Amino acid sequence: MGEMEQLRKEAESLKDQITAARKAVQDTTLQEAAAGITVVGRVQLKTRKTLRGHLAKIYAMHWAVDANLCVSASQDGKLIVWDTITTNKVNAIPLKSSWVMTCAYAPSGNLVACGGLDNMCSIYNLKGKDGNVKVMRELAAHTGYLSCCRFLSDSEIITSSGDCTCVLWDIETGTQKTVFAGHQGDCMSLAVSPDFKFFISGACDFTAKLWDIREGVCRQTFGGHESDINAIGFFPNGNAVITGSDDATCKLYDLRADQELITYQDSSIMCGVTSLAPSLSGRLILAGYDDFNVNIWDSLKSERVGVLAGHDNRVSCIGVSADGMACCTGSWDSFLKIWN
Amino acid sequence: MDEMDLPQMKKEVESLKYQLAFKREKSSKTVTDLVKWIEDGVPDDPFLNPELMKNNPWVEKGKCILL
Repeated sequence: MGEMEQLRKEAESLKDQITAARKAVQDTTLQEAAAGITVVGRVQLKTRKTLRGHLAKIYAMHWAVDANLCVSASQDGKLIVWDTITTNKVNAIPLKSSWVMTCAYAPSGNLVACGGLDNMCSIYNLKGKDGNVKVMRELAAHTGYLSCCRFLSDSEIITSSGDCTCVLWDIETGTQKTVFAGHQGDCMSLAVSPDFKFFISGACDFTAKLWDIREGVCRQTFGGHESDINAIGFFPNGNAVITGSDDATCKLYDLRADQELITYQDSSIMCGVTSLAPSLSGRLILAGYDDFNVNIWDSLKSERVGVLAGHDNRVSCIGVSADGMACCTGSWDSFLKIWN
Repeated sequence: MDEMDLPQMKKEVESLKYQLAFKREKSSKTVTDLVKWIEDGVPDDPFLNPELMKNNPWVEKGKCILL
């Protein structure tokens, strides 16, 4: 038997053992544990603000941690930092490459980042001395498009790429600290755990992987989806992961027991999930779809309890503010909307 | 797995061994903890409690005055 064949057999055997180990700890289901809980009442959120200004499809948005600011990225070649309450544009940053696919706000509020088909992650300093927003660093090394990026701090950022890897960068030196390889398809999305020790990635190999940032290894892999995972997020307590896929479903995975808990699906929903965000308590999951809507799910009962309809094209991104008071949606119709 | 070359395959097997070794906790504990965590947080979730949205910064305050 060739070495390749031997390794293949070993991999299959290990996967079977993992499946068995997962079954061994499965002594209850979420349905059973939530059996006595009533579905939440209908959730009706209204559009409170519409942020107008982009001239093309919006691909990404990210809330700032501290204030009611958020950043959005559009293929009109601009990053806009918005004051969502006044709807004023705090900064309108022209990009070198208009093919942007992701943006991120640093927890400190000092930096924003973006990237896309240029295969780079560009870092911008919002608090420069002369008041002008300039490129601070261009992180280049990925051999595929930048699908997502998230800051750990002002000195470290994690990126996911169409080259199937995720990378931890040192922003100061512009170099790669760690390369997280293992996915067998384009990495589409990533999210950092609340304690900043782990991050999760969703990819076109239909799996989600949990990575230990300092050890540089994949700790767990979650399957179950039948198509690309486009969106991923941590549950607010850091112990569960939510994914959204082209297979029209969202799934909840339990990190501690290492298994899939539930699927959020409806026979009437046949289009892909583009984005998702949990509410403050995690009881609601807001998911954006290709059919221009956002569906609100009761996470414990797996029932649809609300819809946000208002965009005239695909909802490409969604985020809930840090205090849980507002939800922001961004769309290919070039508008962002604030709902609560 | 078919597109992997030998070095990648070796890394995949190493990774699977590491993932197998993960200390899994019983669902009865983890799922109960998760459900409790969520239920404890629901009263503070603005989307589930209209009273928390009384002072909604995104809603215009005050009425128009006829001059």
